[in-house]
Amino acid sequence: MKKIMNQADNVVSDMLTGIAAVNPNVAYDSEGEVIYRKNKTEKVGLVSGGGSGHEPAHAGYVGKGMLDAAVAGNVFASPDPARILNGIEHANSGKGVLLIIKNYSGDIMNFEMAADLAADFDVEVKKVIVRDDVAVQESTFSTGRRGISGTVFVHKIAGATAEAGGSLDEVAEIAQRVADNVRSFGVSLSSCILPGVGAPGFVIEEGMMELGMGIHGEPGIEKITMKSAAEIADIMVEKITSDLDYTGKEAAIMVNGLGGTPLMELYILAGEIDKRVRAKGITPVKYMVGNYMTALEMAGASVSMLRLDDELKEYLLAPCDTAAWKEGV
Amino acid sequence: MAFKLTAADYVEYLEITAVEIEKSGDYVTALDAKTGDGDHWVNLNSGFQKVMSIKEELKTMELSSMLRKIGMTLMSGIGGSSGVLYGSGYIAASKALKDVDVLDIESLYTMLKAELDAIMDRGKAQPGWKTMIDSLYEGLESYKKAVDEGEDEKGVMEALKLGAQQGRDHTKEMEAVKGRASYQTNKGVGELDPGAVTMCIQLECLSDYVINKAL
Repeated sequence: MKKIMNQADNVVSDMLTGIAAVNPNVAYDSEGEVIYRKNKTEKVGLVSGGGSGHEPAHAGYVGKGMLDAAVAGNVFASPDPARILNGIEHANSGKGVLLIIKNYSGDIMNFEMAADLAADFDVEVKKVIVRDDVAVQESTFSTGRRGISGTVFVHKIAGATAEAGGSLDEVAEIAQRVADNVRSFGVSLSSCILPGVGAPGFVIEEGMMELGMGIHGEPGIEKITMKSAAEIADIMVEKITSDLDYTGKEAAIMVNGLGGTPLMELYILAGEIDKRVRAKGITPVKYMVGNYMTALEMAGASVSMLRLDDELKEYLLAPCDTAAWKEGV
Repeated sequence: MAFKLTAADYVEYLEITAVEIEKSGDYVTALDAKTGDGDHWVNLNSGFQKVMSIKEELKTMELSSMLRKIGMTLMSGIGGSSGVLYGSGYIAASKALKDVDVLDIESLYTMLKAELDAIMDRGKAQPGWKTMIDSLYEGLESYKKAVDEGEDEKGVMEALKLGAQQGRDHTKEMEAVKGRASYQTNKGVGELDPGAVTMCIQLECLSDYVINKAL
């Protein structure tokens, strides 16, 4: 393992210290491992979070027009409810708080517990659970589909709605609408190394790739021989559009790097994706190409497609100013 | 004889339990390494040690707030999924015993039942899924049955312990539905669930403590 760090035990706090040092608009609460907006305004508060190792998610999305607080857990582990409660307190201005949660059983339990604790202090809390990964079958029995890169669209659009003065109910409703209309699919080319572990937990052999692997290295659908960008785009667009009908609609499309894939490759993939969605009668109105939700140094990419309506489009393109997404500033 | 436990008594019970949990380390970790992450005991033990570090403060509190404080301490002290489940259990117990200042045969049941319901609700899990729930669920079923059958309090406490042990033992043949063991091809069948084992230790200690203290 070669990583730029001090002690492996301190990677999360050292990272958050760095984030707060370079971004004048946010502050770091080291007690709760929370990055929050310095200038609190009277509006519905937005809190997200989860395990670390997915940067810029979620601290990179704290700022005007997106999140008010991001709560960090240890690498790939949910933050505990006390930390999340801290995040809720930072985000709350009296108009209620929306929690944006990715669908993992640990995150759900900890965020729901925090919501219960917040209710004891008379803070009104609602939640939206993002489950955009089409690689996992939906099931009422198991946890079901994971939340991955499509979550960033929820941050953006719910954030713009809150910034525009939406009530908690309105912000929660639109966040749910985004979650309902976004689908993602990822491919992985290599493993990743947890700083506290020091060695990869699994190997994807030379010449192979894995379809549908999770952002913590959870098993995917299948391991196949490495394909060209065009063939990968075929698979991704097919998986996503066979799950949700985008025909004749406008869409926002994110081509997300998992941490170890150069932008050159992401742009090659984006070009191939673009040909295929247009051929299906889908109109891309907004592309995001870059590292938006990563899995440490894993090589690979996920594509997220959000089916837009007029209202979602308006809030998608509304101004925001965060470290990882700037719109109209 | 009828028992009545104060908040200070409950802390005394936790002290005994913390020692027993600590002693179970090698056994539970070896078990967990076969089916899970191998970190259950380390986390649970550090949670109990954290509770022990504030025991003098806990002894001075009234029952309901003491239970809440224990819940908050276990939640952050254990961390992860077990932390939030134990935290939810104790905080629900605190709410269920809002105006109660001693634990007797009825309120102890109320407390444990509130914990069971909260853990099942938070974990979205059922008895029979090879978890800590199985020890608590069977222990409480057995508790209730003994009360209904008119057993004396000592008999009820013995029933609690026996039921918890049976619940723990039943996890051996169960298939895991949640957690790491559920990803294994055999779903952990043939091994006890480490969470059920440590839950059982707590209920055994509780039963022994009540009997030794007051019955």
